[in-house]
Amino acid sequence: MLASSSELPRRRKIRILIAKIGLDGHDVGARVVARGLLDAGMEVIYTGLRRTNEDVVRAAIEEDVDWVGISILSGAHRVLLPKLRALLDESGASDIRILAGGVIPQEDIPELQATGVAKIFLSGTPIAEIVEYIVKETKHA
Amino acid sequence: MNIVKPSGAFAATPSETASDVASESARWKQETFGPAAAGKKERKKFVTDTGIPVEPLYTPAHLEQNNFDYLRDLGFPGEYPFTRGERPGMNRTDPFVISAYSGFGEAEVCNRRFRKLIEFGTEQILVALDLPTQCGYDSDHEMATAEVGNVGVAIDTLADMEILFDGIPADSLKRIGTLGNSIGPIVLALYAALGEKQGIAWDRYTVNLQNDPLKEYIARGTQILPPEPAAKLASDAVAWCVEHAPNWSPMTVCVNHINAGGAGSSMGTAIALANARHYIDLLLARGYSIDQVAPLLHMFPDERHDFFVSIANLRALRRIWARMMKEHYGATKPEAMTCHTTVYGHGQEALAEPLNNIPRTAFGTLAYVLGGASYVYLAGYDEAVSTPNENSARVALRTLQILANEHGFTDTIDPLGGSYYVETLTAQVERQILDGMAQIEQIGGALAAISTGFARRVMTEGAVRRQRAIDSGDRPWVTVNKWPQKPDVPNTAFRGDDKAEERQLARLAQVKSTRDQKRVKATLAEVERATAEDRNAVPSVLEAVRAYASVGEIVEIWRRRFGAFVPSTDF
Repeated sequence: MLASSSELPRRRKIRILIAKIGLDGHDVGARVVARGLLDAGMEVIYTGLRRTNEDVVRAAIEEDVDWVGISILSGAHRVLLPKLRALLDESGASDIRILAGGVIPQEDIPELQATGVAKIFLSGTPIAEIVEYIVKETKHA
Repeated sequence: MNIVKPSGAFAATPSETASDVASESARWKQETFGPAAAGKKERKKFVTDTGIPVEPLYTPAHLEQNNFDYLRDLGFPGEYPFTRGERPGMNRTDPFVISAYSGFGEAEVCNRRFRKLIEFGTEQILVALDLPTQCGYDSDHEMATAEVGNVGVAIDTLADMEILFDGIPADSLKRIGTLGNSIGPIVLALYAALGEKQGIAWDRYTVNLQNDPLKEYIARGTQILPPEPAAKLASDAVAWCVEHAPNWSPMTVCVNHINAGGAGSSMGTAIALANARHYIDLLLARGYSIDQVAPLLHMFPDERHDFFVSIANLRALRRIWARMMKEHYGATKPEAMTCHTTVYGHGQEALAEPLNNIPRTAFGTLAYVLGGASYVYLAGYDEAVSTPNENSARVALRTLQILANEHGFTDTIDPLGGSYYVETLTAQVERQILDGMAQIEQIGGALAAISTGFARRVMTEGAVRRQRAIDSGDRPWVTVNKWPQKPDVPNTAFRGDDKAEERQLARLAQVKSTRDQKRVKATLAEVERATAEDRNAVPSVLEAVRAYASVGEIVEIWRRRFGAFVPSTDF
């Protein structure tokens, strides 16, 4: 009896890694979102500035997160985001999904979504909208 | 009797003391304003971004409350304590310098943009460098992937500078320069060597650098080394100018990014002044006098939420600076007590409907002009989205020209001096800044504000507070929380051409293969020795730059000697 009850799917908190990749040093947006998600009851880890995709994938797997949220404002998103998706998949972490936030031109969005970014939140998006999306889309119970 | 009394701020007759005004104001508020306001929902929260409550009306009673003393607190333009202006004639005789911050791609395309800006009438160009350059990586470094020429122009060697300023003599503009916060001695050397290449002596042109690494750890994020050696290298650039180019302004201490990142303009100013004091103390410890050092320093104030706070902040900053230089540091020359100010006009720019950013940035910049800023930039309306395109860069420059020439904005000096509201705010903002400075001093100064996480905490808390004020509607924002529109980054956003990186890599490879390798090796070895012996970095870096050593090669020596910064993971 006890054994089976422990096998019931445990409701765990949503875990998300907020990361800055590339050389872009503007991290206020990333930190405000991190704080907002924390306030919404999620477990949030922030990488700090200037990480490589390899750093991010390593941290995401070690921290066993559901999501990686990338903040990017330097325009390097077109190259770095598809690479991150590929690297996660190669590392057996295809279940970890990517969110991106920042300044990303409209015309880049379809391509980024096609290459595996689940959702893009442009600067100025209310935190509540981000929280709602993550809660709805997180797969585990 | 028919006596015509003069009207205006200081027209009260002796019998009408401010205390009478105080009781009358209280009566007005209760009897006249109160009933009219009763039952009406407040349109917004009446408090400045820096946390000062805003009253419905200001009167002479507020001046009395703040012990306002004209001669002590304001004085006259160009005279201590410089509240009304750093220069005697201010905009009346020498309007603020119309400036542009620009850079993208590689030197050749960027040079064409510079020529356009000069044609439009810019008087100063500050070069926006791409992130690899700012972070000390050559364009061919792995960390430069997808970043070359993105947010600024790629500068690897002196060869790029020669192309960048081809046909633009260093003395044809009032000032030239760049930020180069974490690579101060290198960008200084690049500009010194550029003058040599163009045959223009250092005393015939003026170089302006930001060269303020400490705020990078707090707000902007291009730091390379740990804070202590970074600050020492920045002060090297100032020391070198004291000796060789005292007409240059090799350091601009920034509030801008600290405020924008969340600190608010008052605490942001306090943090920036603490940073300034750290650099100054380093220079004094090396034997320079405050009268030698202070005239070379600039401040970069910032306030983009509240128009009148912006004016008050500039006025309070000049007063605090003057008193700090005179009373704390014992400056004796007036030039050492005047705070030179550079500002970058912003408003609360939004991603939705970017043309609305034109009035926003114009109003934000008008406040700086009325506050008496000396070197004025204005953000492109598309700058929240991308590097400004030629059209938005022109609108920015034209807006500055309109501010300098139309509407009578610049006809008289410090036009809002004496305003009950502005003088009250100036006193309140001054107190906020001084309180902030005292707090920072208590925890141990600028380096401690970074290492203890104090500055970062202030920033995050402020940014969260701002976000909540927007989400709740306490601070109205058109197209964001009022008449909301979907944020939109248009496809027309300016992009540097994809071939810029290719051209830059080809040029760098060519320079690296054709330069005098022996000379490069010898000069870099000397940089290494100077670094190990803690000598001023600039002379050896200048020799290396002249030999076409690259930014990345020089920074690599510093990285080996000092180690790299540790990114904070706090939020």
